[in-house]
Amino acid sequence: MRALVIDDSRAMRRIVASILEGFGYETRPAGHGREALDVLEEGWVPDLACIDWNMPVMDGLQFVSAVRANPAWRSVTLMMVTTESEHGQIVKALAAGAHEYVIKPFTADAIGDKLALLGLLPTGVPA
Amino acid sequence: MSAPITHLLDGETVTAVAGEVWSALVGEEEFLVPGHDGPVVLGPSAWVTVTGPWNGLVVLTCDEAGTADLTRSVLQMRADEEVTAEDVDDVLRELANILGGNVKSLLPGPSALGLPETGVAPLRAADVDTCRVAASWRGHDLAITIQGATEAPVFTTTEVPQ
Repeated sequence: MRALVIDDSRAMRRIVASILEGFGYETRPAGHGREALDVLEEGWVPDLACIDWNMPVMDGLQFVSAVRANPAWRSVTLMMVTTESEHGQIVKALAAGAHEYVIKPFTADAIGDKLALLGLLPTGVPA
Repeated sequence: MSAPITHLLDGETVTAVAGEVWSALVGEEEFLVPGHDGPVVLGPSAWVTVTGPWNGLVVLTCDEAGTADLTRSVLQMRADEEVTAEDVDDVLRELANILGGNVKSLLPGPSALGLPETGVAPLRAADVDTCRVAASWRGHDLAITIQGATEAPVFTTTEVPQ
């Protein structure tokens, strides 16, 4: 399975990628939404995108809207991974088309639980 | 104008938030030891702005030696790997971002979080509108400062605050 990890922090990209790789994912990083769209446009369409909210150039919410506007990317599951924890923000992200929402700080178990809920835990990996 | 930060948050709550951030990001076995109000911590800072019913900054400052250790820990670097200034900036920014987001969730909302910055943190608030928490990690001094929008009084060299 493939995951695109979108965060302007290299530290956070590394942490999220390391967790996902532990679950058997192949990952690719992107530093903001525009860079992530470039990856999709080049044909690398992931099963999962983990998306930070506050990023320069193109933020996470704009990325979610752009992905949802393109039927070719309908199969991509969108999971916000962000410090934005206000109810209104969560509702806004889900309304734009995000499937799940993880608030930083998180643990590997919390990510595993969300993947299990989404049916995106590769076979043989304990939740 | 919103209430001063000292009416909205106390140091104990900020320490608890920082502890959670530390164990999730720095390491499960890594603990922040609450400190006392000692001398101001000198070293690089990272901060985020909060804009909404409450306006201000959430600032993380760490002593110089601590920033390198912190970066190694967060990035899970080997002892022989070189820590670059870019690595340090990135780690401090992300820690400030997560601290800021979690502090914001405890303040009146809705509000927006700015993108994190690093450098010498601006000192904007008067003491009455500042919540300052001192802590240490592996013997390094750290400070988390939450500054409201009340401007600090400006004294000239001939005026000494009483």
